[in-house]
Amino acid sequence: MKFTLVKNIQKDSAMSLILKGFLLFILLYLIADVLVMNSSFGITVDTITTTLFGNEDEYIDPINEASFLEFWHTQIFFVMMILLTLNAIFIRVANRSRVINTNILMISAITSLISLVLAFYVSNFFVNIYMWSYFIWHAMAVYMIVYSFWKLRAKSV
Amino acid sequence: MLFKNNIGFSINEILQYYIGNEEKFIASKSWHGILKIILPHTFVFGLFAMVILHFLVFTKQRYKTSTLVLIYTMLFTAFAEMFSPFMIINGYEIFAYVKLLSFVTFLSTILYTLWLLFHSIVYD
Repeated sequence: MKFTLVKNIQKDSAMSLILKGFLLFILLYLIADVLVMNSSFGITVDTITTTLFGNEDEYIDPINEASFLEFWHTQIFFVMMILLTLNAIFIRVANRSRVINTNILMISAITSLISLVLAFYVSNFFVNIYMWSYFIWHAMAVYMIVYSFWKLRAKSV
Repeated sequence: MLFKNNIGFSINEILQYYIGNEEKFIASKSWHGILKIILPHTFVFGLFAMVILHFLVFTKQRYKTSTLVLIYTMLFTAFAEMFSPFMIINGYEIFAYVKLLSFVTFLSTILYTLWLLFHSIVYD
């Protein structure tokens, strides 16, 4: 990631444009992720619980272990990639509060991943933790994208 | 190869893939189905474009207007290629041409960028 070596990203028109385009795609991914999760997995406690554990009253089978592990596996990869790339851009453009913001993002994202697998294997109590941490990391990521986008539009540092 | 195998390079095949074909028992794609397919592509296309393009900043192409045009073209065609299916399933069949053209252009910009980078490595 050579952009970490560019002295002033805001003044470099090519690098600034590339990063703004990339941030836009990450933003689209986050929005699409919420929509897809809402339709396929669930983003509320009830829908997530139904997906993971089934619903006898509505004759809905729970997700099988292989499908769950495949889903968890892809989530880990994409969360890792987004955290890495978004933080790499954010810490370059942010002057203040970058430590706390990156920590909130990473801790909430990792918490969502860990609580998801705990919800499936241990207790449905962790569904609540998963839901809240999922929305917190998405909200923080959107904030960091918008902030980085705004800083990249600046003409000077 | 994947594009040819799954969708096809003709306008009729693209329309058939997204709108469906009763005679061939091909179901039409839904809004949710398309979103599920493009979800990973959204991030990966952006990452791929960023990784390839940012190397241009370290070549002699850095301050050229053509570089900015190349960046805009690659990002725009990636966006058009991913989101044109939504217009197709909503009845705007002309976006099948957009889908095909943006796919070809996106791949062409990638190849052109790689050529610029290799040229810079060898001659600069």
